Amino acid sequence: MKRLAKGALVLMTMSSMVWLSACGSESKATTTGTAAELGTLDPANPTKVTFYSYSLAYPTMKAGMEQLIKEFNDTVGKEKGVVVEGVADSTMQQYKADISAGKEVDVVQHTFSTLDSSRLSLGFKAYDDIFPKDELDEHLKGISSNALELGKIDGKMYGLAFTFSTPIVFINGKLFEDAGLDPSKPPKTWDEIKADSLQIKSKTGKDGFGLAPNNGWVTEGLILSNGGQVLAKDRKSADFGSDASIAAISMWKDLYHNGGSAPGSDAELMEQFMAGNLGMYVSSTSLHSGMKKASEAGGWKLYGAALPQFGDTPSVPVNSGSVLAVRPSDPVKTAAVWEFVKFVTGDRGYTIITSQIGYLPLRTELADDPNGLKDFVEQNPLYRINLDQLTRIQPVAIWPGDNATEMAKVFTDAIVKSVMADDDVKSTLTAAQNEINGMMP
Amino acid sequence: MSQSLDNTIAPSLSRGSIIVRRRLSAKKLRRFKPYLYLLPAVALLSIWMYRPLLYTFYLAFQKWSMVPGTSPVFVGFDNFEHLFHNKSFIDSIGNTIFYTVGLLPFSILIPMILAVVTDRMESKSKNFYRAMFFIPMILAPVSVSAIWRWLFHPSNGLVNYLLVKLHLIKEPIAYFSDPSFAKWIILLITGWKMIGFSTIMFSAALTGINREYYEAASQDGAGSFRQFVHITIPLLSPMIIFMLTMSILFSSQWTFAYIDMLTTGGPYGSSTNIYYEMYRFAFSSLNVGLSSAAALLFFVVFGVIALGLNMLSRKFAFYDN
Repeated sequence: MKRLAKGALVLMTMSSMVWLSACGSESKATTTGTAAELGTLDPANPTKVTFYSYSLAYPTMKAGMEQLIKEFNDTVGKEKGVVVEGVADSTMQQYKADISAGKEVDVVQHTFSTLDSSRLSLGFKAYDDIFPKDELDEHLKGISSNALELGKIDGKMYGLAFTFSTPIVFINGKLFEDAGLDPSKPPKTWDEIKADSLQIKSKTGKDGFGLAPNNGWVTEGLILSNGGQVLAKDRKSADFGSDASIAAISMWKDLYHNGGSAPGSDAELMEQFMAGNLGMYVSSTSLHSGMKKASEAGGWKLYGAALPQFGDTPSVPVNSGSVLAVRPSDPVKTAAVWEFVKFVTGDRGYTIITSQIGYLPLRTELADDPNGLKDFVEQNPLYRINLDQLTRIQPVAIWPGDNATEMAKVFTDAIVKSVMADDDVKSTLTAAQNEINGMMP
Repeated sequence: MSQSLDNTIAPSLSRGSIIVRRRLSAKKLRRFKPYLYLLPAVALLSIWMYRPLLYTFYLAFQKWSMVPGTSPVFVGFDNFEHLFHNKSFIDSIGNTIFYTVGLLPFSILIPMILAVVTDRMESKSKNFYRAMFFIPMILAPVSVSAIWRWLFHPSNGLVNYLLVKLHLIKEPIAYFSDPSFAKWIILLITGWKMIGFSTIMFSAALTGINREYYEAASQDGAGSFRQFVHITIPLLSPMIIFMLTMSILFSSQWTFAYIDMLTTGGPYGSSTNIYYEMYRFAFSSLNVGLSSAAALLFFVVFGVIALGLNMLSRKFAFYDN
């Protein structure tokens, strides 16, 4: 007994040391060179490209993303000699861990808010530096210029807009009708949202509206729509403690605390909406294919509305989604990566991304192209709302410097606390703003 | 003569030197042997434990993103300074204490009662119950999290459904998004998994107690409660202190999986702990220096606690040898 206890103690101390030491385990150092020009691809000896994608890890997006990769491998890839291997990365941590471990990470489906930090610390390269200028200019023709601006830092393109959407209000037609509302005339302002939400709740007993405090990006649209901003124009300080921002968040807090907004995390609200138990849910159109299937299975009709506005001022949505960030290690890899980037952000790529997943076609003319997405958009009028919003869109905040991830977390935490807890909105936001400003480079 | 003398002496001398040498090398080998046996263990420990441990201490004073091709930069005590200005890290200390203390009933009190109660049962039902208690321990944390998430779902979950039906609450509760519930649910799930393991440990310790003590005590008129207090508890004391040590030192590690899968530390850092923050610093913010600084502090604090518990064990554990 004594021996058992003592032995176990020793074992325990050792294993805790092992765990602690794991934090400091050294990784092999390999240097990634910069390629100035494209190498030559050989179809007989294909070049492997790894593509880390969070869409591959989500049930609603997986099939579309897999089709995109497969079609590339079967057509352009086969012809030119490139094989793309998709790596599902649900938490967007895998690519960081693999880069740290010295693995080849060539293309990453990267979110906007932490792009600057990755550029500085993970060796992502600017498109302008590694791809031929004439080919790049030719390829970018036809892509919405608003979208192209989003992946630029200090004048250079570190990410090409890839999957892209704006927030819309998904509407459960049946719950609307049960509450005596008309889903084809959806609410436009936040006041109307509150009134309709409470009406749905009192008539049907189910929650009327849902916007998760931890959603992470719709929040920014809310602040911008009321005339506030998240990050100062020069990206040198946080600026979400202004009166306009405080008023926007206070409106949301009122909605939340007076039964107008269902409690729960973003994932929980999505499940609630898909189960037919939520009247309205604000989220990205990338969920469209999943929502549509859920509505068909549940026997109700899916409607949509634009991001609600404050009073008469049109709302200012921010984009959700991702860019393609690249870090090829040699000229041949660069050529292979370039082929993949061209395919997935070309006409065929966006046709698959929009029709199979639900993101916006960044080549907007595809929506009117009979060979592209004309039929699809006519059958799914929700996309018109999204395309209309594209004209008013503003970029999501790209937090500057090494501490971007921490800054994004402090911002989200402050919003969640302001909306959910009884704490004062002004003091919570101001404290978070000061904390972030203390972390600025 | 001299020739023959030389000849006779010389060979014996050389034979002798061989024997002496052999004896010497055998002696050396004998001395060397224990170290030879120790070598594999020492090598493994050095490579997999002490070198990385020392490396962690080194990294605590560097700034580094772990990206190949970049090298650490010495920053002195900067990482420690940032750590104590980091609000989420400060908050995580309170939560770590909450989980450590909160887990004690699940690792000691409840399992001890379950072990004693099942100990008196007949063999078949004893094994059945102990297997029931142990099953949660061998379930994968991911599936466990998924099941608990469904149970506590704000709109579709069974728990809210029952509570609303029984009129105990008016509105469904979003347990994982509510700071007053999130960490309690994490504690409950970790505790629920922990009970099985502790029950088995206490049951094993109980089988080692000599039955004659109980017979003697009952002949003297001691009831089952007095037997429990005066015989069972003192004789279980080594196991109690062992489980206490395990529970205190490992509570942060055991809660980690559920924090990561159910709340990711939220809402606004109200359910995170030091382990999770260390993980976030290293693999989300890619700041290995900050993470190592936190690991170093954790090592020192928990090292002191472990030494204290070791002393406690020497003082209070009673061994029936």
